[in-house]
Amino acid sequence: MIGFKDVTRIYDNITALRKVSFGIEKGEFVYITGPSGAGKSTLLKLIYLAEKPDEGTISIAGWDTDTLKESSIPYLRRNIGVVFQDFKLLANRTVYDNIALALRIRGYGETEIKERVHDALKLVGLRHKTDSFPAALSGGEQQRITIARAIVGDPTVLLADEPTGNLDVDNAAGIMKIFKEINARGTTILIATHNRELFRNTGLRVLWFDSGNLVADEEG
Amino acid sequence: MLYSIRLALKSLWFEKWIHMLTVVTIGVGLFVLGLVFFALYNIEGVASRLPERFSVTVFLSDRTGEREIDQLKARLSRDPIVESVKFISKDEALVELRSSLKDAAYILEGLDENPLFPSLEIRLKENGFDRKRVEALIDELRRLRSVDDVVYGEDLLGTIYTIRSGVKTLSAGVILLFSMAIVFVCYSTVKILFYRRKEEIEIFKLLGATRAFIRMPFLIEGGTLGFMGGLLGGAGTYGLYRFINGLVVTDFPMLGEMQLPLGLVAALPLGGAVLGIIGSTIALGRLKF
Repeated sequence: MIGFKDVTRIYDNITALRKVSFGIEKGEFVYITGPSGAGKSTLLKLIYLAEKPDEGTISIAGWDTDTLKESSIPYLRRNIGVVFQDFKLLANRTVYDNIALALRIRGYGETEIKERVHDALKLVGLRHKTDSFPAALSGGEQQRITIARAIVGDPTVLLADEPTGNLDVDNAAGIMKIFKEINARGTTILIATHNRELFRNTGLRVLWFDSGNLVADEEG
Repeated sequence: MLYSIRLALKSLWFEKWIHMLTVVTIGVGLFVLGLVFFALYNIEGVASRLPERFSVTVFLSDRTGEREIDQLKARLSRDPIVESVKFISKDEALVELRSSLKDAAYILEGLDENPLFPSLEIRLKENGFDRKRVEALIDELRRLRSVDDVVYGEDLLGTIYTIRSGVKTLSAGVILLFSMAIVFVCYSTVKILFYRRKEEIEIFKLLGATRAFIRMPFLIEGGTLGFMGGLLGGAGTYGLYRFINGLVVTDFPMLGEMQLPLGLVAALPLGGAVLGIIGSTIALGRLKF
Protein backbone atom coordinates (compact mmCIF):
# COMPACT_ATOMS: atom_id res chain seq x y z
CA MET A 1 0.00 0.00 0.00
CA ILE A 2 2.76 2.45 0.98
CA GLY A 3 6.43 1.98 0.19
CA PHE A 4 9.43 4.20 1.00
CA LYS A 5 12.74 3.39 -0.69
CA ASP A 6 15.86 5.31 0.37
CA VAL A 7 13.83 8.50 0.81
CA THR A 8 15.72 11.63 1.80
CA ARG A 9 14.25 15.08 2.41
CA ILE A 10 16.44 18.09 3.10
CA TYR A 11 15.35 21.60 4.17
CA ASP A 12 18.00 24.33 3.85
CA ASN A 13 20.91 21.94 4.55
CA ILE A 14 19.01 20.28 7.41
CA THR A 15 18.20 16.64 6.71
CA ALA A 16 14.62 15.98 7.88
CA LEU A 17 14.62 12.36 6.62
CA ARG A 18 17.68 10.34 5.68
CA LYS A 19 17.52 7.28 3.39
CA VAL A 20 14.29 6.00 4.92
CA SER A 21 12.92 2.67 3.67
CA PHE A 22 9.84 0.77 4.88
CA GLY A 23 6.61 -0.73 3.59
CA ILE A 24 3.05 -0.69 4.93
CA GLU A 25 0.42 -3.26 3.94
CA LYS A 26 -3.21 -2.56 3.18
CA GLY A 27 -5.33 -2.39 6.35
CA GLU A 28 -2.38 -1.93 8.72
CA PHE A 29 -2.52 0.41 11.72
CA VAL A 30 0.89 2.00 12.18
CA TYR A 31 2.24 4.56 14.62
CA ILE A 32 5.10 6.86 13.69
CA THR A 33 6.85 8.22 16.70
CA GLY A 34 9.94 10.03 17.89
CA PRO A 35 10.94 13.29 19.52
CA SER A 36 10.20 16.73 18.03
CA GLY A 37 12.18 17.23 14.82
CA ALA A 38 12.49 13.49 14.25
CA GLY A 39 10.81 13.79 10.83
CA LYS A 40 7.29 12.48 11.62
CA SER A 41 5.37 15.36 10.03
CA THR A 42 7.75 15.43 7.06
CA LEU A 43 7.04 11.76 6.47
CA LEU A 44 3.29 12.38 6.39
CA LYS A 45 3.72 15.41 4.09
CA LEU A 46 5.67 13.22 1.70
CA ILE A 47 2.87 10.68 1.67
CA TYR A 48 0.14 13.20 0.82
CA LEU A 49 2.53 14.91 -1.59
CA ALA A 50 2.58 18.31 0.07
CA GLU A 51 6.31 17.86 -0.47
CA LYS A 52 8.49 15.81 -2.75
CA PRO A 53 11.48 13.70 -1.76
CA ASP A 54 14.95 15.01 -2.67
CA GLU A 55 16.11 11.42 -3.13
CA GLY A 56 14.47 8.01 -3.25
CA THR A 57 11.03 6.83 -4.31
CA ILE A 58 7.65 6.70 -2.60
CA SER A 59 4.85 4.49 -3.86
CA ILE A 60 1.28 4.91 -2.63
CA ALA A 61 -1.72 2.84 -3.68
CA GLY A 62 -0.11 1.94 -6.99
CA TRP A 63 1.19 5.47 -7.70
CA ASP A 64 4.89 6.21 -7.84
CA THR A 65 6.43 9.63 -7.08
CA ASP A 66 9.07 9.06 -9.79
CA THR A 67 6.52 8.87 -12.57
CA LEU A 68 3.60 10.79 -11.04
CA LYS A 69 2.53 13.81 -13.09
CA GLU A 70 1.66 17.10 -11.36
CA SER A 71 -1.87 16.88 -12.78
CA SER A 72 -2.39 13.45 -11.16
CA ILE A 73 -1.60 14.62 -7.62
CA PRO A 74 -5.21 15.71 -6.83
CA TYR A 75 -6.48 12.23 -7.79
CA LEU A 76 -3.89 10.55 -5.58
CA ARG A 77 -4.83 12.83 -2.67
CA ARG A 78 -8.44 11.68 -2.97
CA ASN A 79 -7.21 8.23 -1.89
CA ILE A 80 -5.66 9.71 1.23
CA GLY A 81 -7.57 11.21 4.14
CA VAL A 82 -5.53 13.55 6.31
CA VAL A 83 -6.21 14.66 9.88
CA PHE A 84 -4.10 17.78 10.21
CA GLN A 85 -2.52 18.86 13.46
CA ASP A 86 -3.97 22.36 13.03
CA PHE A 87 -7.30 20.93 11.73
CA LYS A 88 -7.38 23.13 8.59
CA LEU A 89 -11.12 23.72 8.83
CA LEU A 90 -12.70 26.60 6.92
CA ALA A 91 -13.84 29.10 9.54
CA ASN A 92 -16.58 30.67 7.38
CA ARG A 93 -18.28 27.37 6.59
CA THR A 94 -20.50 25.16 8.70
CA VAL A 95 -19.48 21.72 9.91
CA TYR A 96 -21.63 20.22 7.14
CA ASP A 97 -19.98 22.31 4.42
CA ASN A 98 -16.49 21.60 5.73
CA ILE A 99 -17.05 17.85 5.48
CA ALA A 100 -19.06 18.06 2.26
CA LEU A 101 -16.20 19.96 0.61
CA ALA A 102 -14.13 16.77 0.36
CA LEU A 103 -16.98 15.17 -1.62
CA ARG A 104 -17.81 18.22 -3.75
CA ILE A 105 -14.20 18.25 -4.88
CA ARG A 106 -14.70 14.63 -5.96
CA GLY A 107 -17.83 15.61 -7.91
CA TYR A 108 -20.45 13.79 -5.79
CA GLY A 109 -24.13 14.74 -6.11
CA GLU A 110 -25.82 16.59 -3.25
CA THR A 111 -28.06 13.67 -2.24
CA GLU A 112 -25.11 11.34 -1.77
CA ILE A 113 -23.11 14.08 -0.07
CA LYS A 114 -25.90 14.56 2.49
CA GLU A 115 -26.02 10.84 3.22
CA ARG A 116 -22.26 10.43 3.53
CA VAL A 117 -21.75 13.56 5.65
CA HIS A 118 -24.40 12.39 8.09
CA ASP A 119 -22.82 8.93 8.29
CA ALA A 120 -19.38 10.47 8.94
CA LEU A 121 -20.79 12.80 11.59
CA LYS A 122 -22.56 9.85 13.21
CA LEU A 123 -19.29 7.93 13.36
CA VAL A 124 -17.54 10.80 15.16
CA GLY A 125 -20.60 11.44 17.35
CA LEU A 126 -21.31 14.99 16.21
CA ARG A 127 -24.51 14.78 14.17
CA HIS A 128 -26.05 17.51 16.30
CA LYS A 129 -23.30 19.96 15.27
CA THR A 130 -24.12 19.92 11.55
CA ASP A 131 -24.92 23.63 11.32
CA SER A 132 -22.28 24.90 13.75
CA PHE A 133 -19.24 26.86 12.68
CA PRO A 134 -15.77 25.61 13.69
CA ALA A 135 -15.19 28.56 16.05
CA ALA A 136 -18.17 27.41 18.13
CA LEU A 137 -16.64 23.94 18.70
CA SER A 138 -14.15 22.71 21.30
CA GLY A 139 -10.70 21.48 20.25
CA GLY A 140 -11.83 17.84 20.59
CA GLU A 141 -14.91 18.49 18.47
CA GLN A 142 -12.88 20.25 15.79
CA GLN A 143 -10.53 17.29 15.73
CA ARG A 144 -13.45 14.91 15.22
CA ILE A 145 -14.83 17.09 12.41
CA THR A 146 -11.41 16.89 10.76
CA ILE A 147 -11.57 13.10 11.06
CA ALA A 148 -15.07 13.07 9.57
CA ARG A 149 -13.84 15.15 6.62
CA ALA A 150 -10.85 12.83 6.17
CA ILE A 151 -12.93 9.64 6.03
CA VAL A 152 -16.06 10.86 4.26
CA GLY A 153 -14.62 10.03 0.82
CA ASP A 154 -13.70 6.46 1.84
CA PRO A 155 -9.93 6.88 1.44
CA THR A 156 -7.69 3.83 1.30
CA VAL A 157 -5.18 5.49 3.62
CA LEU A 158 -5.81 7.75 6.62
CA LEU A 159 -2.99 9.91 7.98
CA ALA A 160 -3.18 11.73 11.30
CA ASP A 161 -0.59 14.17 12.56
CA GLU A 162 -0.59 14.41 16.37
CA PRO A 163 -4.37 13.82 16.49
CA THR A 164 -4.52 13.92 20.27
CA GLY A 165 -1.87 16.58 20.80
CA ASN A 166 -4.15 19.24 22.27
CA LEU A 167 -6.78 17.00 23.78
CA ASP A 168 -7.52 15.82 27.33
CA VAL A 169 -7.35 12.10 28.13
CA ASP A 170 -11.06 11.40 27.60
CA ASN A 171 -11.19 13.20 24.27
CA ALA A 172 -7.97 11.48 23.15
CA ALA A 173 -9.42 8.06 24.03
CA GLY A 174 -12.57 8.91 22.07
CA ILE A 175 -10.53 9.89 19.02
CA MET A 176 -8.45 6.70 19.15
CA LYS A 177 -11.63 4.64 19.38
CA ILE A 178 -12.84 6.27 16.16
CA PHE A 179 -9.55 5.45 14.43
CA LYS A 180 -9.86 1.81 15.43
CA GLU A 181 -13.38 1.66 14.02
CA ILE A 182 -12.17 3.17 10.73
CA ASN A 183 -9.28 0.71 10.60
CA ALA A 184 -11.70 -2.17 11.22
CA ARG A 185 -13.40 -1.19 7.93
CA GLY A 186 -10.12 -1.90 6.09
CA THR A 187 -8.61 1.58 5.92
CA THR A 188 -4.84 1.74 6.36
CA ILE A 189 -3.99 4.14 9.19
CA LEU A 190 -0.78 6.01 9.98
CA ILE A 191 -0.66 8.11 13.11
CA ALA A 192 2.26 10.40 13.87
CA THR A 193 2.54 11.05 17.58
CA HIS A 194 5.07 11.71 20.29
CA ASN A 195 2.66 10.37 22.92
CA ARG A 196 3.87 6.85 23.72
CA GLU A 197 0.80 6.12 25.83
CA LEU A 198 -1.24 5.90 22.64
CA PHE A 199 0.49 2.77 21.39
CA ARG A 200 1.86 1.20 24.58
CA ASN A 201 0.72 -2.42 24.82
CA THR A 202 -1.50 -2.18 21.75
CA GLY A 203 0.49 -4.77 19.79
CA LEU A 204 0.37 -2.42 16.78
CA ARG A 205 3.33 -1.58 14.58
CA VAL A 206 5.46 1.42 15.58
CA LEU A 207 8.08 3.14 13.41
CA TRP A 208 10.60 5.00 15.57
CA PHE A 209 12.36 8.02 14.14
CA ASP A 210 15.21 10.11 15.47
CA SER A 211 16.90 13.02 13.69
CA GLY A 212 15.47 11.93 10.36
CA ASN A 213 16.55 8.28 10.67
CA LEU A 214 14.26 5.28 10.99
CA VAL A 215 15.78 3.74 14.10
CA ALA A 216 13.30 0.99 14.90
CA ASP A 217 10.34 -0.86 13.39
CA GLU A 218 8.60 -2.87 16.11
CA GLU A 219 5.36 -3.76 17.87
CA GLY A 220 3.99 -1.34 20.46
CA MET B 1 -20.10 23.58 -11.75
CA LEU B 2 -23.07 24.37 -9.54
CA TYR B 3 -20.81 24.39 -6.51
CA SER B 4 -18.36 26.70 -8.31
CA ILE B 5 -21.23 29.11 -9.05
CA ARG B 6 -22.27 28.96 -5.40
CA LEU B 7 -18.71 29.66 -4.28
CA ALA B 8 -18.45 32.60 -6.68
CA LEU B 9 -21.78 34.09 -5.55
CA LYS B 10 -20.80 33.62 -1.91
CA SER B 11 -17.54 35.42 -2.52
CA LEU B 12 -19.34 38.23 -4.35
CA TRP B 13 -21.41 38.74 -1.22
CA PHE B 14 -18.60 38.33 1.33
CA GLU B 15 -16.27 40.70 -0.48
CA LYS B 16 -19.01 43.09 -1.52
CA TRP B 17 -17.04 46.32 -1.06
CA ILE B 18 -14.10 45.33 -3.21
CA HIS B 19 -16.53 43.93 -5.77
CA MET B 20 -18.64 47.09 -5.76
CA LEU B 21 -15.57 49.19 -6.41
CA THR B 22 -14.56 46.89 -9.25
CA VAL B 23 -18.05 46.93 -10.79
CA VAL B 24 -18.16 50.76 -10.69
CA THR B 25 -14.69 50.99 -12.28
CA ILE B 26 -15.61 48.51 -15.00
CA GLY B 27 -18.96 50.28 -15.41
CA VAL B 28 -17.24 53.61 -16.06
CA GLY B 29 -14.91 51.95 -18.58
CA LEU B 30 -17.78 50.26 -20.38
CA PHE B 31 -19.81 53.49 -20.30
CA VAL B 32 -16.97 55.18 -22.21
CA LEU B 33 -16.87 52.23 -24.63
CA GLY B 34 -20.65 52.50 -24.98
CA LEU B 35 -20.31 56.19 -25.90
CA VAL B 36 -17.62 55.38 -28.45
CA PHE B 37 -19.80 52.72 -30.09
CA PHE B 38 -22.76 55.10 -29.91
CA ALA B 39 -20.75 57.78 -31.74
CA LEU B 40 -19.46 55.27 -34.29
CA TYR B 41 -22.94 53.92 -34.94
CA ASN B 42 -24.36 57.38 -35.58
CA ILE B 43 -21.49 58.52 -37.78
CA GLU B 44 -21.91 55.34 -39.80
CA GLY B 45 -25.62 56.16 -39.95
CA VAL B 46 -24.94 59.65 -41.29
CA ALA B 47 -22.50 58.24 -43.84
CA SER B 48 -24.93 55.55 -44.94
CA ARG B 49 -27.72 58.12 -45.33
CA LEU B 50 -25.50 60.25 -47.58
CA PRO B 51 -26.94 58.86 -50.84
CA GLU B 52 -30.37 60.15 -49.84
CA ARG B 53 -28.98 63.68 -49.88
CA PHE B 54 -26.39 63.13 -52.47
CA SER B 55 -26.75 63.09 -56.22
CA VAL B 56 -24.39 63.35 -59.16
CA THR B 57 -25.26 65.74 -62.00
CA VAL B 58 -23.68 64.93 -65.34
CA PHE B 59 -23.76 67.93 -67.72
CA LEU B 60 -23.79 66.76 -71.30
CA SER B 61 -22.42 68.70 -74.22
CA ASP B 62 -24.92 70.35 -76.58
CA ARG B 63 -23.85 68.07 -79.41
CA THR B 64 -24.80 64.86 -77.60
CA GLY B 65 -27.26 62.90 -79.64
CA GLU B 66 -30.27 61.00 -78.34
CA ARG B 67 -28.69 57.65 -79.06
CA GLU B 68 -25.62 58.56 -77.05
CA ILE B 69 -27.77 59.76 -74.18
CA ASP B 70 -29.74 56.49 -74.20
CA GLN B 71 -26.53 54.47 -74.25
CA LEU B 72 -25.13 56.44 -71.33
CA LYS B 73 -28.38 56.08 -69.39
CA ALA B 74 -28.36 52.34 -70.01
CA ARG B 75 -24.73 52.07 -68.96
CA LEU B 76 -25.40 54.00 -65.74
CA SER B 77 -28.55 52.06 -64.91
CA ARG B 78 -26.51 48.85 -64.98
CA ASP B 79 -23.98 50.22 -62.48
CA PRO B 80 -24.43 48.49 -59.10
CA ILE B 81 -24.12 51.74 -57.12
CA VAL B 82 -26.71 53.64 -59.18
CA GLU B 83 -30.30 53.71 -57.98
CA SER B 84 -31.83 55.79 -60.82
CA VAL B 85 -30.89 58.02 -63.74
CA LYS B 86 -33.03 60.91 -64.91
CA PHE B 87 -32.47 62.87 -68.10
CA ILE B 88 -33.13 66.62 -67.88
CA SER B 89 -33.27 68.35 -71.24
CA LYS B 90 -32.13 71.93 -71.85
CA ASP B 91 -35.76 73.08 -71.82
CA GLU B 92 -36.61 71.25 -68.65
CA ALA B 93 -33.52 72.72 -67.02
CA LEU B 94 -34.63 76.20 -67.97
CA VAL B 95 -38.13 75.64 -66.58
CA GLU B 96 -36.61 74.37 -63.36
CA LEU B 97 -34.29 77.35 -63.15
CA ARG B 98 -37.10 79.72 -63.83
CA SER B 99 -39.20 78.21 -61.06
CA SER B 100 -36.32 78.26 -58.60
CA LEU B 101 -35.59 81.93 -59.32
CA LYS B 102 -39.26 82.82 -58.58
CA ASP B 103 -39.58 86.62 -58.54
CA ALA B 104 -36.09 87.05 -60.05
CA ALA B 105 -36.99 85.01 -63.12
CA TYR B 106 -37.15 88.20 -65.17
CA ILE B 107 -33.35 88.09 -65.52
CA LEU B 108 -33.80 85.21 -67.98
CA GLU B 109 -36.07 87.22 -70.26
CA GLY B 110 -33.32 88.90 -72.26
CA LEU B 111 -31.77 85.60 -73.35
CA ASP B 112 -31.92 84.78 -77.03
CA GLU B 113 -31.19 81.14 -76.63
CA ASN B 114 -31.17 78.61 -73.78
CA PRO B 115 -27.68 78.75 -72.22
CA LEU B 116 -28.18 75.65 -70.12
CA PHE B 117 -26.89 72.16 -70.83
CA PRO B 118 -28.86 68.94 -70.90
CA SER B 119 -27.94 66.76 -67.96
CA LEU B 120 -28.32 63.40 -66.31
CA GLU B 121 -29.20 63.34 -62.62
CA ILE B 122 -27.91 60.19 -60.96
CA ARG B 123 -29.22 58.97 -57.58
CA LEU B 124 -27.02 56.50 -55.77
CA LYS B 125 -28.06 53.36 -53.95
CA GLU B 126 -28.21 53.50 -50.14
CA ASN B 127 -26.44 50.26 -49.50
CA GLY B 128 -23.06 49.75 -51.05
CA PHE B 129 -22.38 53.47 -51.02
CA ASP B 130 -18.64 53.65 -51.27
CA ARG B 131 -16.60 56.78 -51.78
CA LYS B 132 -13.97 55.07 -53.94
CA ARG B 133 -16.58 53.54 -56.25
CA VAL B 134 -18.42 56.88 -56.57
CA GLU B 135 -15.16 58.65 -57.46
CA ALA B 136 -14.24 55.92 -59.95
CA LEU B 137 -17.60 56.35 -61.68
CA ILE B 138 -17.20 60.13 -61.82
CA ASP B 139 -13.68 59.81 -63.27
CA GLU B 140 -15.03 57.47 -65.92
CA LEU B 141 -17.85 59.90 -66.81
CA ARG B 142 -15.46 62.86 -67.02
CA ARG B 143 -13.40 61.03 -69.62
CA LEU B 144 -16.40 60.64 -71.95
CA ARG B 145 -16.54 62.93 -74.99
CA SER B 146 -20.26 63.63 -74.53
CA VAL B 147 -19.79 64.77 -70.93
CA ASP B 148 -19.07 68.42 -70.34
CA ASP B 149 -18.79 68.36 -66.55
CA VAL B 150 -19.74 66.32 -63.52
CA VAL B 151 -20.87 68.02 -60.36
CA TYR B 152 -21.30 66.31 -57.00
CA GLY B 153 -20.86 67.20 -53.36
CA GLU B 154 -17.12 66.61 -53.16
CA ASP B 155 -16.70 68.78 -50.09
CA LEU B 156 -19.56 67.23 -48.13
CA LEU B 157 -18.44 63.75 -49.10
CA GLY B 158 -14.85 64.53 -48.17
CA THR B 159 -15.76 66.07 -44.81
CA ILE B 160 -18.04 63.23 -43.79
CA TYR B 161 -15.49 60.62 -44.73
CA THR B 162 -12.65 62.45 -43.01
CA ILE B 163 -14.69 62.70 -39.83
CA ARG B 164 -15.68 59.05 -40.12
CA SER B 165 -12.12 57.93 -40.64
CA GLY B 166 -10.84 60.13 -37.77
CA VAL B 167 -13.52 58.90 -35.40
CA LYS B 168 -12.81 55.30 -36.41
CA THR B 169 -9.09 55.64 -35.69
CA LEU B 170 -9.68 57.43 -32.41
CA SER B 171 -12.34 54.90 -31.41
CA ALA B 172 -10.03 51.98 -32.13
CA GLY B 173 -7.48 53.53 -29.75
CA VAL B 174 -10.06 54.27 -27.05
CA ILE B 175 -11.63 50.79 -27.37
CA LEU B 176 -8.23 49.10 -27.07
CA LEU B 177 -7.16 51.27 -24.15
CA PHE B 178 -10.38 50.89 -22.16
CA SER B 179 -10.68 47.17 -22.91
CA MET B 180 -7.16 46.69 -21.59
CA ALA B 181 -8.01 48.80 -18.53
CA ILE B 182 -11.08 46.65 -17.81
CA VAL B 183 -9.06 43.46 -18.22
CA PHE B 184 -6.46 44.89 -15.84
CA VAL B 185 -9.09 45.82 -13.23
CA CYS B 186 -10.48 42.26 -13.32
CA TYR B 187 -6.96 40.84 -13.27
CA SER B 188 -6.07 42.86 -10.15
CA THR B 189 -9.33 42.06 -8.37
CA VAL B 190 -9.04 38.33 -8.98
CA LYS B 191 -5.43 38.43 -7.83
CA ILE B 192 -6.40 40.19 -4.60
CA LEU B 193 -9.27 37.74 -4.02
CA PHE B 194 -6.95 34.83 -4.69
CA TYR B 195 -4.46 35.99 -2.08
CA ARG B 196 -7.26 36.61 0.41
CA ARG B 197 -8.41 33.03 -0.09
CA LYS B 198 -4.95 31.49 -0.23
CA GLU B 199 -5.45 29.46 2.95
CA GLU B 200 -8.77 28.15 1.67
CA ILE B 201 -7.20 27.23 -1.66
CA GLU B 202 -4.42 25.40 0.17
CA ILE B 203 -7.06 23.30 1.98
CA PHE B 204 -8.86 22.66 -1.32
CA LYS B 205 -5.62 21.35 -2.80
CA LEU B 206 -4.87 19.10 0.17
CA LEU B 207 -8.35 17.61 -0.14
CA GLY B 208 -7.68 16.70 -3.79
CA ALA B 209 -9.09 19.65 -5.73
CA THR B 210 -7.89 19.96 -9.32
CA ARG B 211 -6.66 23.25 -10.77
CA ALA B 212 -9.86 23.53 -12.79
CA PHE B 213 -11.97 23.18 -9.62
CA ILE B 214 -9.96 25.93 -7.91
CA ARG B 215 -9.98 28.24 -10.95
CA MET B 216 -13.65 27.95 -11.89
CA PRO B 217 -15.15 30.18 -9.13
CA PHE B 218 -12.63 32.91 -9.94
CA LEU B 219 -13.49 32.78 -13.63
CA ILE B 220 -17.19 32.96 -12.80
CA GLU B 221 -16.50 35.83 -10.41
CA GLY B 222 -14.49 37.75 -13.04
CA GLY B 223 -17.18 37.19 -15.64
CA THR B 224 -19.93 38.27 -13.24
CA LEU B 225 -18.03 41.44 -12.27
CA GLY B 226 -17.61 42.29 -15.95
CA PHE B 227 -21.29 41.55 -16.62
CA MET B 228 -22.44 43.76 -13.74
CA GLY B 229 -20.07 46.52 -14.84
CA GLY B 230 -21.59 46.17 -18.32
CA LEU B 231 -25.10 46.56 -16.91
CA LEU B 232 -23.98 49.74 -15.18
CA GLY B 233 -22.19 51.03 -18.30
CA GLY B 234 -25.21 50.13 -20.46
CA ALA B 235 -27.57 51.92 -18.08
CA GLY B 236 -25.29 54.98 -18.17
CA THR B 237 -25.16 54.99 -21.97
CA TYR B 238 -28.94 54.59 -22.24
CA GLY B 239 -29.49 57.31 -19.63
CA LEU B 240 -27.27 59.73 -21.52
CA TYR B 241 -29.08 58.90 -24.77
CA ARG B 242 -32.44 59.62 -23.15
CA PHE B 243 -31.05 62.84 -21.70
CA ILE B 244 -29.86 63.98 -25.15
CA ASN B 245 -33.17 63.02 -26.73
CA GLY B 246 -35.33 64.54 -24.05
CA LEU B 247 -33.62 67.77 -23.13
CA VAL B 248 -30.85 68.77 -25.49
CA VAL B 249 -32.90 68.08 -28.58
CA THR B 250 -34.94 71.23 -27.99
CA ASP B 251 -31.78 73.32 -28.28
CA PHE B 252 -29.96 71.15 -30.80
CA PRO B 253 -32.57 69.61 -33.12
CA MET B 254 -29.89 67.92 -35.22
CA LEU B 255 -29.11 65.65 -32.23
CA GLY B 256 -32.65 64.31 -32.47
CA GLU B 257 -31.58 62.09 -35.35
CA MET B 258 -29.15 60.17 -33.16
CA GLN B 259 -30.05 56.58 -32.40
CA LEU B 260 -28.96 54.11 -29.74
CA PRO B 261 -29.45 50.52 -30.87
CA LEU B 262 -30.68 48.29 -28.04
CA GLY B 263 -28.23 45.65 -29.26
CA LEU B 264 -25.39 47.92 -28.18
CA VAL B 265 -26.86 48.28 -24.67
CA ALA B 266 -27.22 44.50 -24.46
CA ALA B 267 -23.72 43.93 -25.83
CA LEU B 268 -22.05 45.91 -23.04
CA PRO B 269 -22.77 43.36 -20.24
CA LEU B 270 -21.73 40.52 -22.54
CA GLY B 271 -18.56 42.35 -23.59
CA GLY B 272 -17.90 43.09 -19.91
CA ALA B 273 -18.28 39.40 -19.03
CA VAL B 274 -15.83 38.39 -21.76
CA LEU B 275 -13.28 41.02 -20.64
CA GLY B 276 -13.78 39.90 -17.02
CA ILE B 277 -13.12 36.27 -17.90
CA ILE B 278 -10.02 37.28 -19.90
CA GLY B 279 -8.70 39.29 -16.92
CA SER B 280 -9.35 36.39 -14.52
CA THR B 281 -7.75 33.87 -16.87
CA ILE B 282 -4.59 35.96 -17.15
CA ALA B 283 -4.47 36.45 -13.37
CA LEU B 284 -4.93 32.72 -12.66
CA GLY B 285 -2.38 31.82 -15.31
CA ARG B 286 0.24 33.99 -13.63
CA LEU B 287 -0.49 32.78 -10.09
CA LYS B 288 1.35 29.78 -8.77
CA PHE B 289 -0.83 27.30 -6.94
